[in-house]
Amino acid sequence: MQTSALKPIARLLTKELLIAVLLLLGVSLVVFFILYLAPGNPFATLAGKRAGSNWHQIQDNEPSGAWYAQYLHWLGRVVQGDLGHSTRSGLPVFNEVIKTGLNTAFLTIGSILLTLLLAVPIAVYTARKGLTAIGWGLTAGSYILAALPSFWFGYIVIYICIHQFGVFPLAFGADASQWRGIYFLLPVLVLGLCSGTLSEMVRYLREELSRVLTEDYIRTARAKGASIWKHALREGFVLPVTEMVAAKIPFVLGGAVVVEQVFNWPGMGRLAWQAAQDRDFPMIMGITLMAAVFVRTGSLIKQVVHICVNPRASQE
Amino acid sequence: MNYLPILKIEDLCTYFYSRSKQAFIRSVDHVGLQIAKGQTLGLVGESGSGKSVTALSIMGLVRGEPGVISGSIELNTPEGGINLLQGLGLHVRIHRDNGRIMQVAKDADAWEKTADRNLRGIRGKQIAMIFQDPKNAMNPFVAVGRQIAEAVRLNTAVAGHREARARALHWLAQVRIDSPQLRYHNNPHGLSGGMCQRAMIAMALAAEPVVLIADEPTTGLDATIQSHIVDLMGDLKDELALTTLLISHDIDVIRSLADTVAVMYGGTIMQQGPVQAVLGDTGTQHPYTAALLDSIPDQRLIRSKGYLQAIRGDVLDTMNIPAGCRFYPRCNKVDDTIRAQCRDQEPALINIAGGHRVRCWRFAQARPYSGRAAVHAMQRN
Repeated sequence: MQTSALKPIARLLTKELLIAVLLLLGVSLVVFFILYLAPGNPFATLAGKRAGSNWHQIQDNEPSGAWYAQYLHWLGRVVQGDLGHSTRSGLPVFNEVIKTGLNTAFLTIGSILLTLLLAVPIAVYTARKGLTAIGWGLTAGSYILAALPSFWFGYIVIYICIHQFGVFPLAFGADASQWRGIYFLLPVLVLGLCSGTLSEMVRYLREELSRVLTEDYIRTARAKGASIWKHALREGFVLPVTEMVAAKIPFVLGGAVVVEQVFNWPGMGRLAWQAAQDRDFPMIMGITLMAAVFVRTGSLIKQVVHICVNPRASQE
Repeated sequence: MNYLPILKIEDLCTYFYSRSKQAFIRSVDHVGLQIAKGQTLGLVGESGSGKSVTALSIMGLVRGEPGVISGSIELNTPEGGINLLQGLGLHVRIHRDNGRIMQVAKDADAWEKTADRNLRGIRGKQIAMIFQDPKNAMNPFVAVGRQIAEAVRLNTAVAGHREARARALHWLAQVRIDSPQLRYHNNPHGLSGGMCQRAMIAMALAAEPVVLIADEPTTGLDATIQSHIVDLMGDLKDELALTTLLISHDIDVIRSLADTVAVMYGGTIMQQGPVQAVLGDTGTQHPYTAALLDSIPDQRLIRSKGYLQAIRGDVLDTMNIPAGCRFYPRCNKVDDTIRAQCRDQEPALINIAGGHRVRCWRFAQARPYSGRAAVHAMQRN
């Protein structure tokens, strides 16, 4: 965390920015091409079969062309900061993506925090005590939870809460003021438990922590009367947690699509689902870019943490 | 000052259990040692003879089952004496057969709890330890200076961060590290192996311990650095009047630093006494010690391009300790008059002169010798 970490971080940020630009180009190109190949078009869904197959033509009075010409046209507008308008709602894509993106970020971060909240104590307990009966039970429990399909578990949770207890209203996000309260807890709970991340986190954190606890320098820490947990914190905890969170963001985002659908959560996942149904091409492109930025940001944060914790990583 | 050893180990046993072989690994088997104030005790032996496990047993750092199972480790500090294994006998049941430990039932959790309680305020504070392979033995994520300052804050009266830092810089200078101000901020991987070992020594000394345990402090360093570290430890011994348990397989290191020496083989002490008597040219050596000395190349041998005398056979497998002398299968000094004894009966450590003890039937034969007679024997050769 000393000043020596600042230079490598600055270097990393420049490198990452460059990579991010290339990555966004690549991702958008691939997705655009897939959309071009995909059957259907926005106006067929809106206006029926008679609609033309070229969405630029109608939206912007632009001439149609080969797919790469359409891509370059789209790219030219994106560079100017214009992601276009939704073919379905006519709203600007950028605003929609940011608005729903924040909701999804909220859901994703919340559920990852919940996963950590469960995974860390289990991992620490089993790393310390070994697989005792309790440790084994906790580990098995984490596997079972991770194996539950979130769409099914989501409906079960809704059913239990609403029909048995009458606790949660059905219409999440129907009213902007309504989902501010505790209503966001259910989707966070379901995504946190069932995204498949929990068991992997438990396993990875346990392996890393128990490996680090047998390192020579931990023995030295005991020999000098220091806390082994304090010394194991960086390598045995901070590094694997950031590693795992960064690696799991894409999976959790994928899980969010389903969970948002189940809970009618006004997030990017539900928007993506809708946009795919509607062949809302500008929206799909916008969401794709946003998701790529999400994932890349996660990995960037991970790398910054690594540099701060482990000065060796910065000297490569 | 009365002669009271600072550290006195008696009958220490540290075993491990091999599940696959269903047998005990008797890493430390009835070991007794003592170190007087300001003295350095050298512990020599081949790899696997139980030297390091002895050190770890003293520090309560043995991992694995059953671990330490019996003995006493007495530490006499100016504040009084305590037995580090006090009260641990309650948590272990040992079944002996013919004097040999055949079964151990140990309540590991209770044992560890009691041991940790016994060692509170001792480990790190009264007894500090230097490990081999300093780059891995120091926390790779923390600047060495801060690790030393941590040892200062934990184990001395200095509590403030600023004063601890000043003390750490003092210790870095004490172990002859150039520009300690700069090195303070280096992580272990930013230092050379020799420097890192110096920092490790500084960290142990920073606690101002009563006893210092150095486990192979020169192993893994190249030859010139080794000799620098040996010189440093010699200087520190004089400057700080350290009481040290020095573990090494390098007899030259032991010769230049130790006052007394104990030779370990197969988990037990074969010979102990003053350095001159045990490692000198006296002829009163245990056959194992003699064989160890013969296996060191000296200048005459190198010049004459002769062959090095290796000890025949392999290091004792401590899972199958023979009924007789542990060294009997490899011994080249057995003659027919004592062969049966060597094979069937384990010799005791026999005092052949003041404080010089040997575990060998050849010397038991000479039991009627008085101390003076033993001195004669030494001079004869």
